[in-house]
Amino acid sequence: MIKLTHIFKSFDGGRSYAVKDLSLSVGKGETLVLLGSSGCGKTTTLKMINRLIEPTQGIIEVGGKDVMDYDPVDLRRQIGYVFQGIGLFPHMTIEQNVEIVPRLLGWSIRSRQERMRELLDLVGLPAESFAQRFPDELSGGQQQRVGVARALAANPTYLLMDEPFGALDALTREALQQELLNLKKQLKKTIVFVTHDLHEALLIGDRIAILHEGNLEQIGTKKDILDTPATQFVQDLFTIKRPGTLT
Amino acid sequence: MSLDAVVTYVVERLPELWLRTGEHLMLTGCSTLAAMFIGIPLGILIFRTTWLRGPLMGVIGILQTIPSLAMLVFLLALLKKIGVLPALIALTLYALLPIARNTLTGLEEVSSEVMEAAQGIGMKEYQQLMMVRIPLAAPVIVAGIRTAAVVGVGIATLSAFIGAGGLGQFINRGLALANTNLILLGAIPAALLAVVVDFSIGAFEWGLRPERKKDKKGSLRRLMRRLAFVLPVAIVLISMLTYFTKPGWISKTAAQLKSGNKVVRIGTKNFTEQIILGEMMAQLIETKTDLIVERRFNLGGTMICHGALVNGEIDLYAEYTGTGLTAILKHPVIPDPEEALNHVTRAYHERFDAQWLKPFGFNNTYALTVREADAKKNQWNRISDLVNMAMEMRAGFTAEFAERPDGYPGLRRIYGLRFGEVRDFDPALMYEAVVKGEVDVVCAFATDGRIAAYHLVPLKDDLNFFPPYHAAPVIRENILKTHPKLGDVLSLFGGLIDNATMQRLNFEVDGKKRKTAEMVEEFLKAKGIL
Repeated sequence: MIKLTHIFKSFDGGRSYAVKDLSLSVGKGETLVLLGSSGCGKTTTLKMINRLIEPTQGIIEVGGKDVMDYDPVDLRRQIGYVFQGIGLFPHMTIEQNVEIVPRLLGWSIRSRQERMRELLDLVGLPAESFAQRFPDELSGGQQQRVGVARALAANPTYLLMDEPFGALDALTREALQQELLNLKKQLKKTIVFVTHDLHEALLIGDRIAILHEGNLEQIGTKKDILDTPATQFVQDLFTIKRPGTLT
Repeated sequence: MSLDAVVTYVVERLPELWLRTGEHLMLTGCSTLAAMFIGIPLGILIFRTTWLRGPLMGVIGILQTIPSLAMLVFLLALLKKIGVLPALIALTLYALLPIARNTLTGLEEVSSEVMEAAQGIGMKEYQQLMMVRIPLAAPVIVAGIRTAAVVGVGIATLSAFIGAGGLGQFINRGLALANTNLILLGAIPAALLAVVVDFSIGAFEWGLRPERKKDKKGSLRRLMRRLAFVLPVAIVLISMLTYFTKPGWISKTAAQLKSGNKVVRIGTKNFTEQIILGEMMAQLIETKTDLIVERRFNLGGTMICHGALVNGEIDLYAEYTGTGLTAILKHPVIPDPEEALNHVTRAYHERFDAQWLKPFGFNNTYALTVREADAKKNQWNRISDLVNMAMEMRAGFTAEFAERPDGYPGLRRIYGLRFGEVRDFDPALMYEAVVKGEVDVVCAFATDGRIAAYHLVPLKDDLNFFPPYHAAPVIRENILKTHPKLGDVLSLFGGLIDNATMQRLNFEVDGKKRKTAEMVEEFLKAKGIL
């Protein structure tokens, strides 16, 4: 379980806030989508969960423990992270990329290899033909699958995904979204998923948190949000632009 | 020179070429390696410690702007040693800037997205550095090493000035003897060496890149990658092999060294007359005693020779009374030759534990020298004749003459001479310059063979300004004590060579391009002392 309590974040010493008084929680095995346009604070919120950014004020708990009580390195190794713009290591093979977290955790070579094969199969990139390649030899969609495989490698309880499909073309994106839905069912991870794509949010999220200029406009299931929009902003979002995209 | 002649010329010198190339590679290789071990950690340090960046890069940058020769001389003074050590230190300092700077740039240029990923998946700081940042910066770092090595090959040619050997030795000797072939014998291999070094480090970097799936196993490409990887290692090994297997007379000397014989090290400055005198003393000692002579010729100037003598790096070289008096002892000019010799003899004994032996006989004083045609046209006979026209004249002086109190500064004071323009020249190039009309007056040496050969006229020193410059062997008293016979042998030279003879001998080498050793042997035999 991930729980945020009255989180504030300012990057300029309090003149303005990227995130204002945000409280929310993500239940075990649940997928929460943070939806919003760029600059709404969604990525900042995500990064605060694994301490890539630290909140100015407020408490974040992961598994019932304040993240500030974790060693940041240990914390991050327990949380899978899929980066916006992929973030694979260009000098490592696909195999090395997927194995990196288990390697950092000191797994034996054999169990690393086993895990790597399993994961590459899971994301549809058979190890025989892909393990020895380098990221720049793969298409964008294939690279992002590797990104997902890398995030899952150490079998983390939590998965943070920062617009993982944002840079992909529409067809590839849809395919990957479907695959993610399947994975979700198989793996039962607690997932926080950031996107600016309404359609994607409605498709993937068990619940959706709508952020606007650092404020939480509404949090709820697809049905809650569509039937009873909490604010004017949320209502406009789904009447004017549906099923479009925030930019 | 016909092709045949070129081949013979090179083949004759092949053993020495081999040795010098080895030395050159050794100098460049060791200094680049040392600079890597210092520069890369330094680059990493200033990457992580931002406030250190400005000051450290500033210091390294300043080191880079020190002229190479000045740096060598400075280190010489600091270490009180000639030879490989100061050369290596200087080369290392020069190699530091490109390596440290490229390390810093390479580390900075790694994309922040990748670094965030490294942090986000839970790498510790040193893991981020070692597993991601440094590998990704490697191509830029290697490019810096490459620059350093190529520049190093160039600068290493200068280390011959302080007796560290290398291909610069040919260039130096060529300059000293006005012998273009010798210069090229050093310069061409040095240029080739730079290309080879550049290529092999480039290949190394190529071999370092991760292997792609498309490089199939067993393919030619793959084999080449292996080779590329080995290339620089091979070059270093070859250079070490070269360095330690000194061929020809060098190996003979080494063998004799091991047999327990004592060695006399003879130095010379970097011009023809010095080399002839050095060779004469060497041959005489080799014939008349059972001592082994080590020739440390072509050291870059008076102060370097003197420093080497005082610090026991050489045992013996030929010095001129006037130079000893004014340049080394900083004593005012003593016009009387006898008195001047007595003074330096006394002072050297007291201050440097060195002994002046009997002078060779000639007086190699400075002579302001002009073209014969100009002299006739303007009726110039004495230095005083120049005074009125000096402002319209261009003078070409050696760097030493331009600064020494018994050189241009003194001339200005005593004669009131002020030339319109003064340019510094290497001694060998100075004569060319006056012949070609690039300058109008030069500070020739009275015994230089080129004065007659190039139709130049020395002007009479009518105010007796130039001090006497009688050449004599200067020797460390220590070695004279262990081998008293040396003094007797060297005194055979006393009064043997007058000005005309020295001019002729110089011209044999400068003008007729004869080999010094051969010519010296002939001369000494003709004089009946060999």
